[in-house]
Amino acid sequence: MKKLLEELQQAALQRETRRHFLHTCSTGIGAMAMSTVLGSCGFFGESDKKGVVGTQVPGSGEREPMDVRTAQFAGKAKRVIYIHMAGSPSQLELFDYKPELQKYDGKDCPQSLLEGKKFAFIRGVPKMLGPQAKFAQRGQSGAWISDYLPHLHRVTDEITFLKAMHTDQFNHAPAQLLMHTGSARLGRPSIGSWVTYGLGSENDNLPGYIVLASGGKQPDAGKSVWGSGFLPSVYQGVQCRTDGEPVLYVSDPAGMPRDIRKGTIDAISEINRQQYDEVKDPEVLTRIAQYELAFRMQMSVPDAMDIKGEPQYMLDMYGVDPNKGSFSRNCLLARRLVERGVRFVQLFDWGWDAHGTDTSTALDLGFHDKCRQSDQAVAALLTDLKQRGLLEDTLVVWGGEFGRTPMQENRDGQSLPFKGRDHHLEAFTVWMAGGGVKRGFSFGETDDIGYYGVKDKVHVHDLQATILHLLGFNHEKFTYQFQGRPFRLTDVAGKVIKPILA
Amino acid sequence: MHTRVIVFSAAIIGVGLLLSSFLGLFEERIDFNTQVKPILNKNCITCHGGVKKASGFSVLFRHEALAPAKSGKPAIIPGDADASEMIRRLTLTDHEERMPLEADPLKPEDIDVLRKWIDQGAEWGDHWAYTRVEKPDVPKIGTFWSRLGIADNQEQNWAKNEIDHFILEKLREHDLKPSPEADKATLIRRLSLDITGLPPTEKEVTDFVQDKSLNAYENVVNRLLASPAYGERWTALWLDLARYADSKGYEKDAQRSLWRYRDWVINAFNQDKPYDQFAVEQLAGDLLSNRTDDQLIATGFHRNTMTNDEGGTQDEEFRTAAIIDRVNTTWDVFQGTTFACVQCHSHPYDPFTHDEYYKYLAFFNNTRDEDVENDSPKLRFFKGTDSVNVAELKTWVQTHASQPQQVQDWMNFVRMTEPKINSHDFDQYVNSSLLGAQYYGFYHGGSSRIKSVNLTGMNRLVMAIGTKSDSATLTLRQDSPTGPSILTLPVPKTGSPWNDSIMVLALPKLSGRHHLYLTLDNPKKPQDWTMVKWLSFRPALPGTPATSLGEADQKLQTILNGNPETTLVLLEGSGNFARKTHVFERGNWLVKGEVVTPDVPKSLPAFTTDTNGKELPRNRLGLAQWMVSRENPLTARVAVNRLWEQLFGTGLVETVEDLGTQGIPPTHRKLLDYLAAEFMETDHWSVKRLLKRMVMSATYQQRSSVSADVLAKDPFNRWLARGPRVRLTSEQVRDQALTVSGLLSRKMFGPSVMPAQPDGIWQSPYNGESWKLSDGSDKYRRALYTHWKRTAPYPSMLTFDSPSREFCQVRRIRTNTPLQALVTLNDPVFVESAQALATSMQQQGKTAEQQIQAGFRQVMLRNPSPNKLAVLLRLYKQSEMYYKKHPADAQTFMGCYGSNDMPRATPELAALTVTANTMLNLDEVITKE
Repeated sequence: MKKLLEELQQAALQRETRRHFLHTCSTGIGAMAMSTVLGSCGFFGESDKKGVVGTQVPGSGEREPMDVRTAQFAGKAKRVIYIHMAGSPSQLELFDYKPELQKYDGKDCPQSLLEGKKFAFIRGVPKMLGPQAKFAQRGQSGAWISDYLPHLHRVTDEITFLKAMHTDQFNHAPAQLLMHTGSARLGRPSIGSWVTYGLGSENDNLPGYIVLASGGKQPDAGKSVWGSGFLPSVYQGVQCRTDGEPVLYVSDPAGMPRDIRKGTIDAISEINRQQYDEVKDPEVLTRIAQYELAFRMQMSVPDAMDIKGEPQYMLDMYGVDPNKGSFSRNCLLARRLVERGVRFVQLFDWGWDAHGTDTSTALDLGFHDKCRQSDQAVAALLTDLKQRGLLEDTLVVWGGEFGRTPMQENRDGQSLPFKGRDHHLEAFTVWMAGGGVKRGFSFGETDDIGYYGVKDKVHVHDLQATILHLLGFNHEKFTYQFQGRPFRLTDVAGKVIKPILA
Repeated sequence: MHTRVIVFSAAIIGVGLLLSSFLGLFEERIDFNTQVKPILNKNCITCHGGVKKASGFSVLFRHEALAPAKSGKPAIIPGDADASEMIRRLTLTDHEERMPLEADPLKPEDIDVLRKWIDQGAEWGDHWAYTRVEKPDVPKIGTFWSRLGIADNQEQNWAKNEIDHFILEKLREHDLKPSPEADKATLIRRLSLDITGLPPTEKEVTDFVQDKSLNAYENVVNRLLASPAYGERWTALWLDLARYADSKGYEKDAQRSLWRYRDWVINAFNQDKPYDQFAVEQLAGDLLSNRTDDQLIATGFHRNTMTNDEGGTQDEEFRTAAIIDRVNTTWDVFQGTTFACVQCHSHPYDPFTHDEYYKYLAFFNNTRDEDVENDSPKLRFFKGTDSVNVAELKTWVQTHASQPQQVQDWMNFVRMTEPKINSHDFDQYVNSSLLGAQYYGFYHGGSSRIKSVNLTGMNRLVMAIGTKSDSATLTLRQDSPTGPSILTLPVPKTGSPWNDSIMVLALPKLSGRHHLYLTLDNPKKPQDWTMVKWLSFRPALPGTPATSLGEADQKLQTILNGNPETTLVLLEGSGNFARKTHVFERGNWLVKGEVVTPDVPKSLPAFTTDTNGKELPRNRLGLAQWMVSRENPLTARVAVNRLWEQLFGTGLVETVEDLGTQGIPPTHRKLLDYLAAEFMETDHWSVKRLLKRMVMSATYQQRSSVSADVLAKDPFNRWLARGPRVRLTSEQVRDQALTVSGLLSRKMFGPSVMPAQPDGIWQSPYNGESWKLSDGSDKYRRALYTHWKRTAPYPSMLTFDSPSREFCQVRRIRTNTPLQALVTLNDPVFVESAQALATSMQQQGKTAEQQIQAGFRQVMLRNPSPNKLAVLLRLYKQSEMYYKKHPADAQTFMGCYGSNDMPRATPELAALTVTANTMLNLDEVITKE
């Protein structure tokens, strides 16, 4: 192995052209190969006109795509767990307490709130809908949290609530894209890709950016919400599955023992080495390294994803049924992954789109169930991270892609059998905990009925700017040169929300 | 542009006895593109270009740069650098005023270039790719004496065609020498993979190796170009560009049927349809006179745009998104220029303005597709009784028609049910809603307006309508919701408003334009929705009574309600269906600016006449013809560059997607122009001839191994002192494994297939479709026939860098990742291939050594070196020993995927399978050498 590394470096040293980053540097997860190429091809260095890498971060002798790198400045967060409730939970039933709204319950929505607005499903004049859950102030910080999330009450004082979030998109797929890639259209890198591109990974044997999905469906925007866009594909999220193989094709065929697989990898490496001696193509050396990494991943991924070793009290704390894939299990896995040095863990849980068209989307039925199924695990995750001393430098983000209307949805102008709310882009709640945000803090206010943000509004791009800031990046300078111009996560907008920084 | 330069040069000479510019004549002339533009782009254009024009100064266009800036004075005065504010500001020492702001000052030599350039008149040159393709002279090689044939010369001995002359010229400049020819086995494998996407058979290799004739290689080239597999291989490339998929994209990502377009592409390549025609049919086949079905199918190219069925999304927004995608894709694919930036603002670097984007968009903005759920317009293919009915109806119309055009009109309607008014266009809703933001629905007492319909000569209404109610009555009224009734219809009960029945209805004789109103009465079931999906006002069928229905109408209705196979097509709207195009301010489709008419950017050749001097129509057809005219500077260059990239691994312009000023400059510009000119003039756009030129060159036939010295000089093989060595594409990796193991099905064409795929890949919300493993040999079809779902593409191909095909992707960036290793090691397709290969190996020798040798030959088409053979043999022994001790594991291993008729799962066979699995993962196997 040592000899291989030396040769790789030797081969890499022979290359110096900056602009070939994509060709040579996108060589795979934890590529042993091309190490010095990254240093020499401008990774984090100055970008030239055609250069692909455009961050103006001081170089630090980085060697490979997933090597640990220092950020632009010392960030308080080292890693991220982003919990996305796909479909968008109702802030009015969880965090944004609006007693005034109750007074209007069942009354026609005033025309002033409807003029010039477009909704996904509301047509004509809908009725207002009061909060469906009971609220009280919780913890020392006195945050309002409803009785739908009883477990979260215990950890309230770890959390900063952003209560006047707003977005530009009121359909799921574009809103999810905006939330995760900074643009409502396809083609941009996701935030997890930006972060792993910026910081690398702390574990050579696992992907640096792992995605776990629950709820039976993938998010509406598909794999693009964890795609790497124009960044090298090595930075795209790797979806680990909780049913079947954790990573596709990670298991050897039945009847092939590890020893034999080891034998094949050794044979492949040895023949490839002979081939390299003949043709001297450095790509062969990269391939040798990738096969050896694949072999290690075959052990490390299932190991990280296997919760059998977790004690019963831990399973109980998260509420995990060890035999079933679930959101709770994904929360526990998220902790296991960040513990092992995975940089960005993205959780998606599908099924939060409470329109009220049937029982599964009724606020007091299906939605309440989704709260019950997730509440304990989210609280457990914060507790667990804290107990392990990981919460200090792990940023946990929780939210959907937009909010819900204070009006009851009247799909296509007719009253629905169940209580639900339509998509709403003007106001919703996102919360963050750990990794450099204030503990027990609330930021932003909406009006009396929760329709508009009226104080300390936070746009999606501001949230992204803040997450990058917490990790040590100036979002305006963390750019990537593509198609002739520098691109960044926050597009052309975004301000760091300074008041929430610890 | 040329005239402008000439006029300007004349002006210089006129004014130009200014001393400085006079002196300038004796200086070396500064070249704008290579010397000035890079300095401007690097240092100035971010603030003084397209988007920003700080202080009213921009260096993007000459007229902008010479215009008075905010100060009232121009910053550049042609012919007088000393008087030019630009030079003054560049040379100041005061940090507040010196340009560029907050950056290091320009290097003195750069300022000197700018100074000379201004003194010489501050001419703006056109970027090379935007100038006409002129055929350059072929560089001379060898020496004076060798050219006379008197002396022997290495260069001349090596070169095989003109390409090699251009390559040699650059090799000399870089102090490199070409490599000798690759051995024949390697060469035929390279050639077969490149031209057909498949490796050669062992027999083909032997035949070629043994053929000592002079044209042995050329014969192989000809044979491969004539093979049906050729079309499949190049179609795989084209499908990325066309963003072809079997699903609609976005949230629901439901299936759609467009495989006939894919088959059209295969046939087009195999028939060597000239590239100009290939382009025209795909962009505007619907507008060709006497168009054929095939030409309509070809327009599927731009129907590959996504359709958004997510509830609540507006059709017009996503129709617009599709049109914008068509514009951007047209530029990406045919013009090699990123035009998308101009959507929001004038291009910061290339000479295209904001409104030019929308003028160009106007060419595309007139098609009938409107992001509706049924994906209309679609061409219908009738079978059985349907086709009999269609033939009878056609005979009827032919018999009764007073003009031949009527036959065509009616057949078009039967084939495509267009033109139609989609119900999302209705307005003035009462008790109505656009259900799911898709189709119009109303209930008791409901009404809506259909705007301004020309009823002259229109005696039929064809309407798609449905309800679950049995008591709804629809009335069509004239001029107001309470106006005179012109039609009353008991709405057919279809089970659900979403199921429609297509009705052919007679209208009374009316004339002129009217607003029409649909009203609904359903007092028994006042809450039940009735849905109208679309309607169409038409004249009565020839030979039927004007104001009542005839027998032919009944037949028409039966045909329209059939459920034939379909494929999506483009169809131009005219008359009432023509659209206006507006500029979108800052790219926002809701903020409409001025109205524009179709035109092409001014910096490209004017939109006037085609190659034959005929005036071009201002529609998509005209645009397509303009694009493939001899004057268009981009189309041929882009095509040549793309084909070159496919063979050599890197384009002559590396950024295949961008030949503009932001692209990487060409390594061999003269060669690119030479080939582009030959492609148009000599080869008449024949792709096969162009490919043949390339593969007949000595450059292509070189050995791909490299010495440390050459690697140091040219690590990325830009100067081609060696042959290409690149990893196979995702399609080739799969197809090769299936070929060498004997599993590949050579069946061509037809609906996409579903080979083995792990469970749980398809999880689209609100979509119940599932992956159903194809039967029999359909599991082993070539990769390009694999069902492609945009939000969840076939995983192994995605891992090997296939794009999702949501949008056009011009270039696949090759990666090298551990996930790829896992695919070729463990994906059932590759394990099955290893099992089949092992079975065949066993039959080809008595000893393990013989069997492994045979297997290696089957895969790599050459004998393994003794060292490699030793490694494989050792692995075999290790495996054999294991499986002898664990026969049950051998059973499991051999039975894990393969068919039931797998021969006895002996330890030997299991060990051979392990060996075969290893061979299929070797670098040399998944690489074109």
